[in-house]
Amino acid sequence: MTDHTGTRRGFGAWLMDPKRRGALLVTPAIVILFVMNIFPLLWSFGLSFFNYKATSQRVPTFKGLSNYEKVLTDERTWERFQTTALIVSSSVILQLIVGFLLALLFAKAFPMRRIVLMLVLTPMMLSFVSVGVFFKLFYEPTFGIVSYVLNFFTTEHFVMLATPAGAIAGIVIADAWMWSPFVMLLVLAGLVSVPKYLYEAAEVDRASKWRTFWTITFPYIKSLLLLAVLFRTIETFKLFDIVYIITEGGPGSATETIAVFLYRNAFQFFKTSHSSALAYIVLFIVIVLTNLYLYSVNRRAEEVD
Amino acid sequence: MTIELRKLTKRYGTLTAVDAIDLDVDDGEVLCLLGPSGCGKTTTLRMIAGLEFASEGDVLLGGKRVNGLAPRVRNVAMSFQFYALYPSITVAENLAYPLHADKLSKTEIAERVARVSKTLQLDGILNRTPSQLAEGEKQRVAVGRSIIRDPNCFLFDEPLSRLDVQLREEMRGEIKSVLQDLSRPTVIVTHDQLEALTMADRIAVMRDGRIEQVDTPHNIFQHPTNLFVAGFIGTPQMNLVPATLTSAQEDGVAEFSVEGGQNLKIQVDRRICELSAGARVTLGIRPRNLEISHEAVEDGLSTKIDMVEPMGAETLAHLYDGKHDLRVVTDWRVPLTEGEQVHTRFLPGTTLVFTEDEQVLRS
Amino acid sequence: MARKYREVGKAGWGYTALTTVVGFIYFFPVFWIILTAFKTRTDALAVPPKLFFTPTLDNFYSVFFRTSITTGNSQATDMGLYFFNSIFIAFTAVGFAVIVGTLAAYAFSRYPLRGNDTYLFIILTTRMMPPIVVIIPIFLMFRISGLAGSYWGIMLLYTAFNIPFSVWLVKSFFDELNPEIEDAARMDGSTERRVFFGFCIPQILAGLAATFVFGLILTWNEFLFALLLTGVDTRTVPVAMARTLGGEVGVDYGLLAAIVTLFLIPIFFVTFLLQNQLLRGVTFGTVKK
Repeated sequence: MTDHTGTRRGFGAWLMDPKRRGALLVTPAIVILFVMNIFPLLWSFGLSFFNYKATSQRVPTFKGLSNYEKVLTDERTWERFQTTALIVSSSVILQLIVGFLLALLFAKAFPMRRIVLMLVLTPMMLSFVSVGVFFKLFYEPTFGIVSYVLNFFTTEHFVMLATPAGAIAGIVIADAWMWSPFVMLLVLAGLVSVPKYLYEAAEVDRASKWRTFWTITFPYIKSLLLLAVLFRTIETFKLFDIVYIITEGGPGSATETIAVFLYRNAFQFFKTSHSSALAYIVLFIVIVLTNLYLYSVNRRAEEVD
Repeated sequence: MTIELRKLTKRYGTLTAVDAIDLDVDDGEVLCLLGPSGCGKTTTLRMIAGLEFASEGDVLLGGKRVNGLAPRVRNVAMSFQFYALYPSITVAENLAYPLHADKLSKTEIAERVARVSKTLQLDGILNRTPSQLAEGEKQRVAVGRSIIRDPNCFLFDEPLSRLDVQLREEMRGEIKSVLQDLSRPTVIVTHDQLEALTMADRIAVMRDGRIEQVDTPHNIFQHPTNLFVAGFIGTPQMNLVPATLTSAQEDGVAEFSVEGGQNLKIQVDRRICELSAGARVTLGIRPRNLEISHEAVEDGLSTKIDMVEPMGAETLAHLYDGKHDLRVVTDWRVPLTEGEQVHTRFLPGTTLVFTEDEQVLRS
Repeated sequence: MARKYREVGKAGWGYTALTTVVGFIYFFPVFWIILTAFKTRTDALAVPPKLFFTPTLDNFYSVFFRTSITTGNSQATDMGLYFFNSIFIAFTAVGFAVIVGTLAAYAFSRYPLRGNDTYLFIILTTRMMPPIVVIIPIFLMFRISGLAGSYWGIMLLYTAFNIPFSVWLVKSFFDELNPEIEDAARMDGSTERRVFFGFCIPQILAGLAATFVFGLILTWNEFLFALLLTGVDTRTVPVAMARTLGGEVGVDYGLLAAIVTLFLIPIFFVTFLLQNQLLRGVTFGTVKK
């Protein structure tokens, strides 16, 4: 192997300087991300100040902040945000509960654990489209298994996705089913980090299960629970595929999340500039949440050390 | 209240960690389980606590067989090697923790916490959490948490192993005085002989899952029953010299031929005459029972000073007789030069003789 | 009084039975889809839903072939092409992303620059933001450049989509290595290239494999980009499935179930083999254990 720094001259030598090695290695990744992410974002940032329509040939004109004003004063925007908030919060809460219970169940070592665990972990690895297909089939009013089971309890014919509440519940259940294993994994990570001798000490000290949980278990998992909440909030905030497959936002606009709303505006009504402005508002929210998430990640890293 | 172990055995698969141990600890007595790591002492302690169950044999607390019972039912107090302080609650809450099961009133709990924190000087740190404590403080809280209630027995797993030397010395005294006030059987597990010798009423020396000897600290030191205990107890380690018996008299004066060819005539236990000439033995003598002399002596060996280690008031010298290393501790004023040829005298009546089966000769 | 005490954190076969029951209830939707994949159309639409039926492989057959009504010959369906597209696009894009991501991850882990954390944050944000936000301008870009509907376009996009994930995940593996060994190798005269390829890469090979596999799953599960940016020839399976779902003639659930079941096979393998890395994978390396 030859030493690059000594022999070459000019640009090659400058480029291969060990001082720049870090930057050099990062460059390909940054370039691709710039081309495929940053540049488009800047472009749409620009577009959000014009009145551009992707289907129209008209030369766009500068409109200043009027798109943002329109988006923020539009009642529908707030309705969609509310829908999204409702779906996100109920889904994340459900995921927390189910994931937490599953984690408690799987925290012990038992024979064949790895294989049994697969039964629970599989949903997380499926595609949104598959999960959408599953649940659409289950909710099917005539031959769906959910409708079939519900018919035992109510005599009237129940079409789950026909009512706003039913449709939202349908989506929340599908999403929570898919992602509860994620919360379970995080909680499990917390549970296994509890030193065994603390539980032994609590046993010797004759502490009740309840007290043992609150003084020993909970402190070890609370930072991971926070991570789970933030991560799942960010992810559920993007919820698009499942809604698109199961309800397409219906009935009416009852399940139209902000992502579906954006999709409609941008690709069905081609209100390009208008939706760019909305996209930026969404981006801002995600950046704030991501910041919070990373802050919690670092804080937990310090705790673990 | 007493602890009795009857043929207590613990196996993990094919490995026998504890092998048919018999042991009794009386009310108010402090017993140390002492041994090198992996000898089964912690497993024994955990079986008394109920954190692990015996494969065979019985654990009796107060004469009652408790074999299958959970720790909480056995009502034992235990302090763990890593202290096992509950990290999210304060020192005061940690101390009060074992009392909740007794359904005591708030004032009663407060009184007991106050009493223990006074005994162990924890008053200033009651409101801190364990992560804010120094090692020594953590250790005191761990002890405090086990002595705060009135259990059937007290168990301590390596109580001082995480402290530095100076703190260890300090805590040793402190724990000893706390232990003296306890009127329950107490078992301490340690690998540190100094800890065992200073704190225990009796010591049980363990090796490979068996108890080698149970006795008072004095007897363990003065009268080890076998080669392992003799070599394990005492610093610097006892000198162990393989030799062959040449002749022995009724009064215990015997002549040995030490490996390497030198002859040695010393006063040992009278049972030496039970052995026939030519028997292979090991002679054991503590470094402080050897004396350096500049003239040739009958009851000594001719040696060369190999290395000198000053230890303050005393000096540790390594002597070499051409075959073995002998450790000698002398007063610091005795002048020693490395490389010098000297004679090492065995002080009369201090040499132990171990037969080929590693047992001591003792009448 | 005599309450049985078990050693902390251990349980026996009875517990296995309990967890299996719970696990199976949780797994039921997947199980039901697998059943549906083996049902005839009549069985799939039966009221009440059938648990016992005569299994058939027809659905799997009709994923790839259809029998012409007029001639009776069997013809290949487009689904075979979509399977190929999904796999080909995912392998290429993820492979490229992992290579590029590994280089960057190594730099972030070993040559901490000023503003490192900012870069890492921006990189993570591009992954965290909803794809719908970035897709509006990308759609325009692809339309102008003619990349829409081509393999190149979607592969490039998926590469970008996988880079943030690869950087973070691979970095988490590099961070666990002991840099002192590398320094020792440097002292012994190894070149930087040898340190990287000879010491670091071999040690995190399992991690790289895990990253690659997670990337594959994320990528062939992806829907929105594929929906908007693939054409007739480059369509991927999720898009094809969604289109089947929107069909006029009534949804052929047996067919869809068969497709899902086919995709389940690699997922089972991955979930089993990478179970210990799963948490790290799904959190992009931000939570290791």
